Amino acid sequence: MSVAQRVHELRRQRPRDRFLRGSLVLLAAVVIYAWFGGDVRVTELFSERRAANLARFFGHDAMPRPLRDAEGGGGFGALLQWVGQVWREKGATGVGATFAIAALSIVLAGAYGLLTAPLASRTLMRCDPYLSSEDCAWWRSVSISFRLIAVALRAVPEYMWAFLLLAVLGPTAWPAVLALAVHNAGILSRLGAETVENLPRRPLAGLRRLGASRSQIAVSALYPLGLGRYLLYFFYRFETCVREATVLGMLGVVSLGYFVVEARARDRYDELLLLILFGAILVLAADFISWLARRWLRQAK
Amino acid sequence: MAHSFAAAAVLRGIDLRIGAGELLAVVGPSGAGKTTLLRILSGALFPARGRALVDGQCLADLLQGSREQRRQLRAHRSRLGFVHQDHALVPNLRVVQNVVAGRFGQRGLWRALRSLVRPDQGDSEEVLRVLERVGIGAKMFHRTDTLSGGQQQRVAIARALFQHPTALLADEPVASVDPARARALVQLLVAVAAEIGLTLVVSLHDLGLAREFFPRLVGLREGGVIFDGCGADLAQSEVDALYLLDGHDQGQA
Repeated sequence: MSVAQRVHELRRQRPRDRFLRGSLVLLAAVVIYAWFGGDVRVTELFSERRAANLARFFGHDAMPRPLRDAEGGGGFGALLQWVGQVWREKGATGVGATFAIAALSIVLAGAYGLLTAPLASRTLMRCDPYLSSEDCAWWRSVSISFRLIAVALRAVPEYMWAFLLLAVLGPTAWPAVLALAVHNAGILSRLGAETVENLPRRPLAGLRRLGASRSQIAVSALYPLGLGRYLLYFFYRFETCVREATVLGMLGVVSLGYFVVEARARDRYDELLLLILFGAILVLAADFISWLARRWLRQAK
Repeated sequence: MAHSFAAAAVLRGIDLRIGAGELLAVVGPSGAGKTTLLRILSGALFPARGRALVDGQCLADLLQGSREQRRQLRAHRSRLGFVHQDHALVPNLRVVQNVVAGRFGQRGLWRALRSLVRPDQGDSEEVLRVLERVGIGAKMFHRTDTLSGGQQQRVAIARALFQHPTALLADEPVASVDPARARALVQLLVAVAAEIGLTLVVSLHDLGLAREFFPRLVGLREGGVIFDGCGADLAQSEVDALYLLDGHDQGQA
């Protein structure tokens, strides 16, 4: 048998995963059905009436007021003036409130996640390297409880939390803050627990072996080893919070979303688009802050 | 003080007595059961059959016993220095923080927390002394993962010494360093143990090192003791039997 034949033969005998292949075929079938078989018709997007609506929207409704011919057709100066006016009257308040809601809620969620991550992780409930099996059952129940709480907190979308809390607390910023905090507390607790579970076992086993208690292991190994990764999750959720805080305004909390809904109610699509643009800039700024922090964390390891 | 181990029958009918202050090397091929034996001696693992006794007390009984007895087991572990193959330190802490952790088993949470933030004068001085003893005093405030593999192993030895141990167990402590550094590390372990009268049990791949530094050798193969005695008395046939490759290890032609 030649070398080429042997390679061919070995290749033919390589281990293959039937399940993986089967699921790929299934996935392809589902995608094709979703595009062409279901209620969503791709052709709907390109109907004539839709094209006319789009033309009207972009040609007139979305055109900033000072630039419209009917309003006197002011130039670039008038445009700037209009942008400044919308910013002063609504944008500044909306952007400020949105940022404040996001920052406050992520700090609350982050603190909860930081405290509960070691408790929710399977690492602490294992007997090995936590050799003394005496209180294993107790720690197992602690860990399962905290994981269940985390799952329950994040199972309800932040939008629903805010909806419920608005009914209880009234239209202040607090329903939004608490809704985001509660939902993200669940997420960060879970991600934190996973971070702890993925830590190298050896340093923990080493400490346990010299007689360190669970809490001592937490402060001397779990936090020092896991904090960097946890903060990556923290900043990622912060970005998400900024976006979500914008959307929650649509429920009536005073953030950017509130002004967006209000502009829509007055059919002021130009203003609406400008406010969305402010929101996008805020999100980009948050992304940038978070990117800087994460880059710094990666370098510090 | 009397300090002796007696382990029976987990690996395969092992009957071993280790006296206080004895220097002992466990040698044998990979998978012979060296790590298991050391884990049993350290009280991290309990034999499925037979008993492991320390100072006449059965470790497994302590675990099943009263709160007071479990506390004794923790105290036993805290006085037993263990050096792992891959040093098992917290890599992103400073050397001094890793070393003070050696006494966590004898302290509460707050004392431990404080010594991590800033060790007190007494601790600092003692940490420096043990670090100087293992030859890396200058690295006291360096981050542990900036040290070389051999230096990190010295930090691990310093942490074990900081425990004020009655015995030191080392599982393949030189498996990941080059031969010259391996020799220096083994020499250091033996010298330190002899100096303070520690019981020392080290598992090694390298029969040469074991013969050079240890008065007593225990050869393990497939879970059984092949020989137990002085290295000089070892016959060539016994050495061959210890490391003989079987068909699987050699791979197929």
